[in-house]
Amino acid sequence: MKVGEIATKDVVSVRPDESVKEALGLLFKIQISGLPVIDGDGRLVGMFTEKEILSYLLPSYVERVGRFIYDQNPKAIKKKFAELSKLKVSQLMRKDIVTTTEDTALCEVARVMLTQKARRLPVLDKTGKVLGIIARSDVLKAISKEASINTGE
Amino acid sequence: MISVAVSLGILARHIGLNPHQSLAISIFSASILGTLFFWDFRLGFAFIGTTVLLLTRTIDLDNLIKFSSLEVILFLVGMMVLVGLLKDTGFFAWIVSLILQIKNLTANRFLILISLISALLACAIDEVTSIIFIVAAILEICDYFEVSPTPFLIISVLATNIGSSGTALGNPIGILIAAKSGLSFEDFIIKAFPLMLGCLVIMIIIVKFWYRRSLLELDRKIRDFGANDMLINLISIPPEKELKISLAIFGATLFFISIHHRLELLWNLEPNTILLSMPLLSSGCVMIWKWRRARDYIEKDVEWWTLLFFMLLFAQAGTLKYTGTTDVLAKKIVGLAGNSLPILIGIVLWVSAIGSSILDNVVLVAAFIPVIQSFQALNLNLQPLWWALLFGGCFGGNITIVGSTANIVALGILEKEKNIHITFFRWFWVGLLVGTVTTCIVWLVLVFSPFYK
Repeated sequence: MKVGEIATKDVVSVRPDESVKEALGLLFKIQISGLPVIDGDGRLVGMFTEKEILSYLLPSYVERVGRFIYDQNPKAIKKKFAELSKLKVSQLMRKDIVTTTEDTALCEVARVMLTQKARRLPVLDKTGKVLGIIARSDVLKAISKEASINTGE
Repeated sequence: MISVAVSLGILARHIGLNPHQSLAISIFSASILGTLFFWDFRLGFAFIGTTVLLLTRTIDLDNLIKFSSLEVILFLVGMMVLVGLLKDTGFFAWIVSLILQIKNLTANRFLILISLISALLACAIDEVTSIIFIVAAILEICDYFEVSPTPFLIISVLATNIGSSGTALGNPIGILIAAKSGLSFEDFIIKAFPLMLGCLVIMIIIVKFWYRRSLLELDRKIRDFGANDMLINLISIPPEKELKISLAIFGATLFFISIHHRLELLWNLEPNTILLSMPLLSSGCVMIWKWRRARDYIEKDVEWWTLLFFMLLFAQAGTLKYTGTTDVLAKKIVGLAGNSLPILIGIVLWVSAIGSSILDNVVLVAAFIPVIQSFQALNLNLQPLWWALLFGGCFGGNITIVGSTANIVALGILEKEKNIHITFFRWFWVGLLVGTVTTCIVWLVLVFSPFYK
């Protein structure tokens, strides 16, 4: 099976100049953890995910101070959350994104997802336009479908 | 950059140094310029530069390895593993929570507390690790009381740089000087630590005046906000048992390091054997106790990128001595100083202070050590010169915004978290004041006090 057959074609996306608060609201509404960021020309410019938002809300040094436990929420969190309405998606999004193409084999996509630690990959055509998006769950479903065909279950 | 290095080499040739010496100077200055302008590429340049030295027979393999001071590098590796363990068991979170939990906080107490803790932590642990925790605590407290964290951050960085001169552990330059000068850890405790404390007090007095408005505002906000219960309950630490064990290991290491000289005399060991091998012993035990995490400590907590650069830097500096370059330089400098020790102390002190305000202080000290060692051949009392190098190298880091890695790390966090950008000059005025006053005090003490001869 190739990526083109399993990827979701109708891609929900956010624009780089949207406010983070609005984009977050969209994530909540459609119950997805991340969306591609596509500009006015249909080009992929970044990925906007829950991870980027959490990273922004918590202080940057939490990863460098070793082990500790937050017993309460620091005051800054509320302030930072309020700032989200002033921030644009382009300021928070991840800019180096792993992508794939329609002809890529299923296992290759799985390999890329594992080694690059990506949960969803935008599917691009040769000009860089976004054709669809493939997620980890899509890959797993396809693999299990193929496996059950082969074993005749 | 290459042209500057080459022209320095040609200049050296002109003033009477032989080809090997000129080449050694060229390569070494290329390294220094590399750290100044091409920070990210510095290791690549160091690798290539060292190869050039080998291929041109400026230095041979045996001496290259000898000068790279592997014993100092292994010491640093051992200490970094220990710091990794302390991070894991929540030692630093404990320090932060201690700061957050002071009752009856006043601006004065806050100022003195962060200065003291910054300085003392910097004595025992490398400045980059210690500054991250202090900055975390300061940001949380200033957030809570809704004051600008900038003054307190700057104060803690100033205190960290001053504190790092207090022991041989505080800064890589301390252990380097200890290894090459024959001064023992005890010498540091008796002679460097008190002087460091004195300068710390002076710094506190200076910043109390410089930032008096910020301190008043903090007091006002503390009165307005009342008790800081929320801060007190903000963070807690993981299981205490592990923390106690790791503190015990760290404490024992520090203890044996501090009496290393006496033990070496007692057991007839080569000088500095225990100093340099204690961290290996402790970190070895740690890696057996926490064998699942051992690989992580070595791969993530040990800064190999920096250590490899140090190794090659030391080797290149050693080449300067080996080729006799520094002997020539040393003679010329002594001539300049008119054979007067106080002037010589002044030269070493101020050149290293100004130098370390621009360059990385390890680079500077690595360059100076062979020069001071060459002074030995000229029958001079070296001890005050080593102290001048130590204090100049540490205090100079306070002068500019790029003077020390602690400055860069702290301001990087400030910028990322609060979007506050500190300009070069905002730092420079207070940094210059604190830096020059403390350096002057050291100069006076080293010249006039018989204790340091």
